[in-house]
Amino acid sequence: MKGLVLMMVAGLALPVGAQFDQPVRGRQYVAYVAESQTVAAGKKVELELRFHVNEGFHVNSHVPASELQIPTGLALERVEGVKVGEASYPAGKAYKVGDDTLNVYTDDFMVTVPVTATAGEHAVDGELKYQACDRAACYPPKTLKVKVLFTAK
Amino acid sequence: MSVDAGQEMRRGSGKGRSAAMLVVMVVAVTLLIWAGVHNARERRLKMQEMTAAQASKAAMSMPEANAGAASGGGMAPKLEGKVAPGFSLVDLDGKKVSLAELKGKPVLVNFWATWCAPCKLEMPWFEEFHKKYEGQGLVILGLAADDAGKKAIGDTAYKLGVTYPVLLTDDKVTEAYGGIDYLPESFYVDRGGKVLIETAGMSDGQGGKDQIEANIKKLIAEGQ
Repeated sequence: MKGLVLMMVAGLALPVGAQFDQPVRGRQYVAYVAESQTVAAGKKVELELRFHVNEGFHVNSHVPASELQIPTGLALERVEGVKVGEASYPAGKAYKVGDDTLNVYTDDFMVTVPVTATAGEHAVDGELKYQACDRAACYPPKTLKVKVLFTAK
Repeated sequence: MSVDAGQEMRRGSGKGRSAAMLVVMVVAVTLLIWAGVHNARERRLKMQEMTAAQASKAAMSMPEANAGAASGGGMAPKLEGKVAPGFSLVDLDGKKVSLAELKGKPVLVNFWATWCAPCKLEMPWFEEFHKKYEGQGLVILGLAADDAGKKAIGDTAYKLGVTYPVLLTDDKVTEAYGGIDYLPESFYVDRGGKVLIETAGMSDGQGGKDQIEANIKKLIAEGQ
């Protein structure tokens, strides 16, 4: 019994890094601002996911002005105990480049996701796909991995 | 109380102590697991917050951000002074275009994409310079670093009034030109096949257009 307890204590003392996903390769222009959220268990509630666009950059909104622009979109994986609905995105802002007027997100933007979860702590993995530009240039489409952590009570 | 009864009671109380110990150990182990999971969760949240803060800080100190790099500022040149990587690609009409076959001519290789607004801003300038300097041997090639498909690429080029060759590129070519992780990027290849000037990004307005024309004049003058 003592041995079992010691093994468990040793397991908990693993370095922090060993418990996390490997960092995504390549530079990101958007960051997921993780916030601890507590929601009602067994009811359909809205999870709020906040993203921050790096200063000086913009990303296309979910509904860009042109079909050639690559929209920002969030996809969450299925996980036991959590039913995930369709995400809602904020409206973008008009952003003029030459004769083109784009529809973009800058600074912070919030994506809301309806969920119904069983009581307990949940971790839902997902990906935010986006394409960023600044005044001078554009960057190839990127994928930002997110881990949404929340507690249902 | 008989001796047997006393022994029985001791055995009983011994069993009771063992059961109590077991319960205590199970509770302790459960508590340890719960604390570990809770700690890991808190650390994960903290880590994500730190990553977000670091990404934001890194962006503010990024040299290329908002550089307006029409003269090659922003990112460090990767290929200037080196032989331009060769390629053989097809244009929108299916005609093969090879960089090697253009040796002896000044060539402007411009990487762009349909989703890149700054690229589309400078492409009509390239068209203007294509007409203006064609007589002096200038060749402009637009390489679409794009997954949009031939039709969307062709429609965009047509809408912008582009008549110089637009080539459908692939990952091999973009890798050879340093990955093209920043659009637009242009490579001014001299008559000898070397990259004379490399630019990444653009400055809008007359300043950006003037800089492109200055680069073209320098390219044409090189090796004459």
